[in-house]
Amino acid sequence: MSRLGAVFAREARLAWSGGGGPAGPAAFFLAAITLAPLAIGPSPELLAAAGPGLMGFAALLSVLQSAERLYGDDFSDGTLDLYALSPMGLSLLCLAKTLGQGIATLWPLPVIALLGGLMYGVPLQPSTMLAAALAAAIPALVLLAGFAGALAAGVRRSGLLIALIAAPMMVPVLIFAAGAGRAGFEGDERALANLVLTLAVSLGTIALAPFGIAAAVKSRLG
Amino acid sequence: MLAMTTALAEFPSLVALSPQTLEATGLSLSRGGLRLVERLDLALAPSGALLLVGPNGTGKTTLLRALAGLVRPDAGAVAIGDQPAGQVAADTLGWLGHADGLKPNETLRHALRFWADMHGTPRTAILPLMRVMGIEALIDRPAGQLSRGQQRRAGLVRVALANRPLWLLDEPAGPLDGAGRDRLAELVAWHRSRGGGVIAATHQTLDWPGAAMLDLGMYR
Repeated sequence: MSRLGAVFAREARLAWSGGGGPAGPAAFFLAAITLAPLAIGPSPELLAAAGPGLMGFAALLSVLQSAERLYGDDFSDGTLDLYALSPMGLSLLCLAKTLGQGIATLWPLPVIALLGGLMYGVPLQPSTMLAAALAAAIPALVLLAGFAGALAAGVRRSGLLIALIAAPMMVPVLIFAAGAGRAGFEGDERALANLVLTLAVSLGTIALAPFGIAAAVKSRLG
Repeated sequence: MLAMTTALAEFPSLVALSPQTLEATGLSLSRGGLRLVERLDLALAPSGALLLVGPNGTGKTTLLRALAGLVRPDAGAVAIGDQPAGQVAADTLGWLGHADGLKPNETLRHALRFWADMHGTPRTAILPLMRVMGIEALIDRPAGQLSRGQQRRAGLVRVALANRPLWLLDEPAGPLDGAGRDRLAELVAWHRSRGGGVIAATHQTLDWPGAAMLDLGMYR
């Protein structure tokens, strides 16, 4: 197995066995989208119209909620030292690590978003569009959360710092991903454009964020 | 001497090391605004061993981290071979920090396999090295269920698996019992017999033959 694959597999395995894996973010996401209608009110039109945006927003929050674990534990148990001294480039390693953990913990979100969309009265096609947009958004969301997590590694109450750093950077992904679902619901052909833009932001983040994460890790270790 | 040869026979045969020298010149280090080390020179030849001693807070850990390129020194430079340490550290260093780098939910089998793969060492070397450190029976235990001393032994197995010429060890014997210290001495002797060098920060008396001693208390 290549080193890249080894890191990806290890981080996915650790995320799965360590903190309950996908259960945390999934439960948070599910709670948010179940509670929201109680606050918004029972009007079916209102719920269907608010559904896609609400789903995107709740997904972002559940990524943030699990971001503290991304680099905090590795900092305190010495793993980050070893990663920084490993023969594989640190940026590539951080990419594999963040995506491995992210995908192992966040894969239920698109599935829940699809079911949640239907539950809110959004037709199947725009619900699928929303789920696809969320799936496309996950790499960007988790890498931005990872960047904030690396900057805040070893800081007490790092959750607050992570939210402050990551939330503004997540704005474009949120707009495009929720936009895809919303435009799909309104029958607007811009849904596909929004989906492609979400994908573009994710790819851009995959290309750039690892360098930022590696620099953040190095500065936290020094 | 005879006993030593039999002991050495139990070690796995790994790809030969390419011995490296480590040299620090004019190193000044501080931590939290406090100057710890002032214009320090040190050198380690292949097969050499250097023990860093001194009271708590004299900068042993900071010095090790600077030698590994993890901390940037205020002044001076560290060279491995004829290259700056920061550039070649990843290919030449085996690192054991004050934390062992183990995950509480990961079994030693999974952890050590991962590190063997990362360093391109055959997985067949894992068991012999665990046997050397006396922890082969714990291979399927999650690290979180091990005692501090057992975790330290596992960390040392990981260092040996990296198969790198320079070992930097921060308190390698700290939580080890008497038998563990003997096993550590054997592991280090094996490493040095292959041309590898060791620098260890320690409070324990480690009687490694021919080890030089550097007292950081002097630099205060």
